[in-house]
Amino acid sequence: MGGYLSSRLFYYIAAFAVALTFNFLLPRLMPGDPFEIMFAASQGKIQPAQLEVLKEQFGFVSGPWHVQFWEYIKGIFSGDLGPSLIYYPTPVTEIIAGSMPWTLLLAGVSSFISITVGLSLGIFAAYHRGGKLDSIASPGLTLLGAFPQMVSAMLILFLFGLHLDWLPISYGYDPDIDAGWTLEFFLSVASHAALPLLTLVISGLGGWLFLMRNSMINTLGEDYITMGKAKGLSGRRVMVQYAARNAILPVVTAVALNIGFLVAGLLIIEMIFNYPGVGNMMLTAVSGRDYPLLQGLLLTIVGCVLVANFLADLAYLWLDPRLRKS
Amino acid sequence: MKSIFAFYRGNTPALMGSIIVFTFILLSALAPWIAPYDAEKRVARGHQPPSAEHILGTTRSGKDVLSQVLYAGRISLTVGFASGLIATVIAVLLGVTSAYVGGRVDAFLMFLTNVFLVLPGLPLIVVLAAFLGEVGPLSIALILGLFGWPGGARVMRAQALSIREKEFVTAAEVIGESKWRIVVVEILPNMVSLIVGTFTGAALGAVMGQAALEFIGLGDPNVISWGTMLFWAQNNSALIVGAWWDAIVPGVAIAVFAMGLALLNMGMDQISNPQLKGSKNLKQWKKLNDELQANRKKKQESRKIAGEVVEG
Repeated sequence: MGGYLSSRLFYYIAAFAVALTFNFLLPRLMPGDPFEIMFAASQGKIQPAQLEVLKEQFGFVSGPWHVQFWEYIKGIFSGDLGPSLIYYPTPVTEIIAGSMPWTLLLAGVSSFISITVGLSLGIFAAYHRGGKLDSIASPGLTLLGAFPQMVSAMLILFLFGLHLDWLPISYGYDPDIDAGWTLEFFLSVASHAALPLLTLVISGLGGWLFLMRNSMINTLGEDYITMGKAKGLSGRRVMVQYAARNAILPVVTAVALNIGFLVAGLLIIEMIFNYPGVGNMMLTAVSGRDYPLLQGLLLTIVGCVLVANFLADLAYLWLDPRLRKS
Repeated sequence: MKSIFAFYRGNTPALMGSIIVFTFILLSALAPWIAPYDAEKRVARGHQPPSAEHILGTTRSGKDVLSQVLYAGRISLTVGFASGLIATVIAVLLGVTSAYVGGRVDAFLMFLTNVFLVLPGLPLIVVLAAFLGEVGPLSIALILGLFGWPGGARVMRAQALSIREKEFVTAAEVIGESKWRIVVVEILPNMVSLIVGTFTGAALGAVMGQAALEFIGLGDPNVISWGTMLFWAQNNSALIVGAWWDAIVPGVAIAVFAMGLALLNMGMDQISNPQLKGSKNLKQWKKLNDELQANRKKKQESRKIAGEVVEG
């Protein structure tokens, strides 16, 4: 168990190091003065004395690259990612902390819905293979899942947000309402999250269903399933506790491999619905050439993806007792 | 001709995918002849709804949407296929080398692959493109290709490893054939369906990646591609002012082409992994297997009887 987790952790640390190196090298590989490139958008906003401090913090010191890299790493691990240039002098960490909850809300709720509904449908479709649900829902939802999220987001925005005008199409909540623990605020947040969530669930459902169904079909051929049936166990028990319990393992592996792809979709959907999360902030940073903010966002997103991967590893460990013993 | 027919029989996804993809290739190739207007010129008033004159309407700046979407296909398809090719070549090189050389090289290459596999591609690419400024189609193809290989490399390695253990490879080694010849003549031909599958998968990722980058505004806005069409539509608030055709047409083009590639990918999966085929074929296989087994039993029994007769 310790061996499995520590080898996985090693990958994640290495991946984070790659992201750090990427951030460090990018401005230095561009033609021109790297510091001026990074802070080009700050013209006139930041005092020269302040700029000198930032120069040191981001590792733009004189000396060979490894010295610069060491300064850069020290700066990052002090927990200060510098100021944003668009929203100067707000620190990057504060902006990220403000947009992160929105992204986590979308990611959490949409994953919960697509996992529970997708897995149940997949189990049912496999157990009643060739039935009505299987022959309609399985190919239909799989095709929907292959539909590019950018396009489905636009179609949903146009149909439900504009044409039918049922739900709001931008922001996280109605700006006329004060944020707080009130029912009104809660309802506003829910209605603003509805369309992005719908897009995410529609595109995520098919994948879970498809993976679970195929994995179940393989499992249902095993002898212990026949044995369970022969013992006279109820169909429900065989389906859930015998087949699904074992079929879920390859699904977890496949999903862990897809986390990066899921994040990409999430970012794009936030941009289209002008939702105040990390993805939309990334768009703002790109168009304002706010490189400190952009780099901070990149590190945060990579960090979150690695944590999500680690959680998937833990889930796998929890689901597969064989790994725990060896 | 016969082999083509046999290839598509019983593989509906591959057939449908091929039809869609080839239609798109044909339409893009013929764009200069079939496009009704010059895609880059203002030919009518802005945001005209679809009509007999402009079948798919016009953009905000009065350009014909149909002509634009046809010409845009040329850029989007080229970028998709080019970066799919780059990613596939890297995946094959790394995967097969890793499997065939083994040892430290294998450990190092797989470490690299696993690290890049857990890194989210799109955010990295967005930051890279933001530093480069506006990136043209060529740079986009290169960047997406260089980031698109890890998944493929892992599958290639697994497949190459299993083929390496097969008798015909051992036979070739015993005969004394060179490593190169074994890789090129014995191993690679057995990976064709997997290689084509990886290519369609990588091309699919690239088409979406390009659209995403250009939609965000990182592409060259003067190039006509599906992504920049979406970028202009979004910039001009096409959906909000009611000019749905301006945004929906390039969107649907991306979606249908992506579907075609995804179907082709599914079809290739079916060839490399026949178990995924529908239950119908599985039933046939079971029937065959049962018959085979019954035959074997019969033979064994008759042999037994024959033996008894001889002994007696």
